[in-house]
Amino acid sequence: MALTLPALCLFVLFIFYPFLRSFGLAFFESTLFNPDPVWVGLQNFHDLIQDPTFHRTWTTTLIYVLVTTLLTVMLGFFWALILNQAFTGRTIVRTVTILPWILPSTVTAFLWAWIFNGQFGLLNAVLKGAGVIDQAIIWLATPSGAFVAVVIAKVWLSTPVAMSFILAGLQSVSSEEVDAAMMDGCGAGSIIRHVIVPHIFPTLVIVFVLQAMANLQQIDTILAMTRGGPARATTVLSIEVYQKAFQEWNMGLASAIGVAWFFTIAIPAAVYLHSVFKRV
Amino acid sequence: MLPVQHRHETWVFRGLLTIFVFFLLMPILWMLSTSFKAPEEVFLKVPTIIPEEPTLRNYMRALTETRILTYLYNGLIVSMTNAALTTVLAALAAYGFAKFRFKGRKSLMFLMISAQMFPYAVLLISLYPFMQRTGLFDTRSGLILAYLVFAMPASIYILFSYIVNLPDELIEAARMDGADEWLILRELILPLLTPGLITVFLYSFMWSWNDLLYSLTLISSETKRTVGPGLLLTFLGEMEQDWGAAMAGSVIVSLPIILAFTFLQRFFVQGLTAGAVK
Repeated sequence: MALTLPALCLFVLFIFYPFLRSFGLAFFESTLFNPDPVWVGLQNFHDLIQDPTFHRTWTTTLIYVLVTTLLTVMLGFFWALILNQAFTGRTIVRTVTILPWILPSTVTAFLWAWIFNGQFGLLNAVLKGAGVIDQAIIWLATPSGAFVAVVIAKVWLSTPVAMSFILAGLQSVSSEEVDAAMMDGCGAGSIIRHVIVPHIFPTLVIVFVLQAMANLQQIDTILAMTRGGPARATTVLSIEVYQKAFQEWNMGLASAIGVAWFFTIAIPAAVYLHSVFKRV
Repeated sequence: MLPVQHRHETWVFRGLLTIFVFFLLMPILWMLSTSFKAPEEVFLKVPTIIPEEPTLRNYMRALTETRILTYLYNGLIVSMTNAALTTVLAALAAYGFAKFRFKGRKSLMFLMISAQMFPYAVLLISLYPFMQRTGLFDTRSGLILAYLVFAMPASIYILFSYIVNLPDELIEAARMDGADEWLILRELILPLLTPGLITVFLYSFMWSWNDLLYSLTLISSETKRTVGPGLLLTFLGEMEQDWGAAMAGSVIVSLPIILAFTFLQRFFVQGLTAGAVK
């Protein structure tokens, strides 16, 4: 018990207390001009439900999280299958391609902002050269273009993590089973569907929920690439809370959004925590 | 391993491998390429893939005309201290949870690990005034403590998974020999735990080195800024559109974390996945 005390003290001060205080603040009005919290009950939540821009933030978040998470798990899965094969240079490829995951988020944002740059970006040059487009697209200044850019940046940085987890899971697939299926004349596609996926399904679920949690929390790359714009096209819940709190200084409303946000994260988190505590 | 027997399967495999490697590495190679280009070459309508006249001018500009060295220094102090603190505290807590039975053990551990799902920006709403009241606002110590939320929950769980697999008999035998608890922890548990400790150290270092949100909000003076917001505010501010220097700066701030990884990756991926995948 005593061993856990130092960690517990810091948890209480820097995690639990601020969390509960923010949670409580959702029932108060606290703005830049009236910083002293005034009890308003459910008023903040009422305002949110009435607010169409909040509905939009909500939809943007769901699409962002679902698309990003699905793409990450799928790419991570196929990438793990590839790296599970024997080929020359496998170790070096596996080591070097982990890089996207470990770069600072500002760097990730810069890399992709530069590739998506409307005037001198690599993407436009390639698309123009291939004859796909005539006119340069100002990606980050168009709502759908900016959305695609922030999704790709996040999928890019997370694919190596998803791959690592799934590759570890693949080690438990027995080669006898794969060989037996091969004898029966199954091709690669059918072995993936009928032997590998059922076998590592629990791993895929864990990777999915961990990624969903991370994508719901994600703010850094979006903040650095688009700041939630243009026209709020990339404003997800994390950006909304940050802007309400630290640009408009409306702490009560920001906290109320935070409460809704917390309960959304709690859905994948429940699956994750359940799997963790089965083993304690 | 999947069967790759036919000729067309080999080609499909090679094609997929190439596409993945291209997708994952192209942006990084593009960053390197841009960082070595002269300004005239950076802003070409049809970009060159490899710099025609490689130059270090972007690096010189990034190092001398910005405060990047200050950001690196602050980043190193904050990240090293946070990583050390997280590793020590998580090791103690994980050992307590794994090898001692006490009342409320399970719920306490549940509470700590579930802190992963607290939205970070929401914590910040209350951390901000809290830091201001306690004098920790705009200090490196404040940032170090605020960073605990990122890596600590997962670290406790990772180390817990390691310790719980150590046989109880080992600890019992040491106790029988009259070793006190402190000695057991120091001489028996910690050495066996080294791969886990390295994993956790690197994991928390990575979180604090790579963070943008907390540092941007809890640090206000330029002399204390870390790399994330430092880089962002420099190249969105006075040096906006200087993509050559921005890419050179990006390479510079990525080097420490890449170096750390090159040496420790073997432990890291293994340690991180061992806990979560079963």
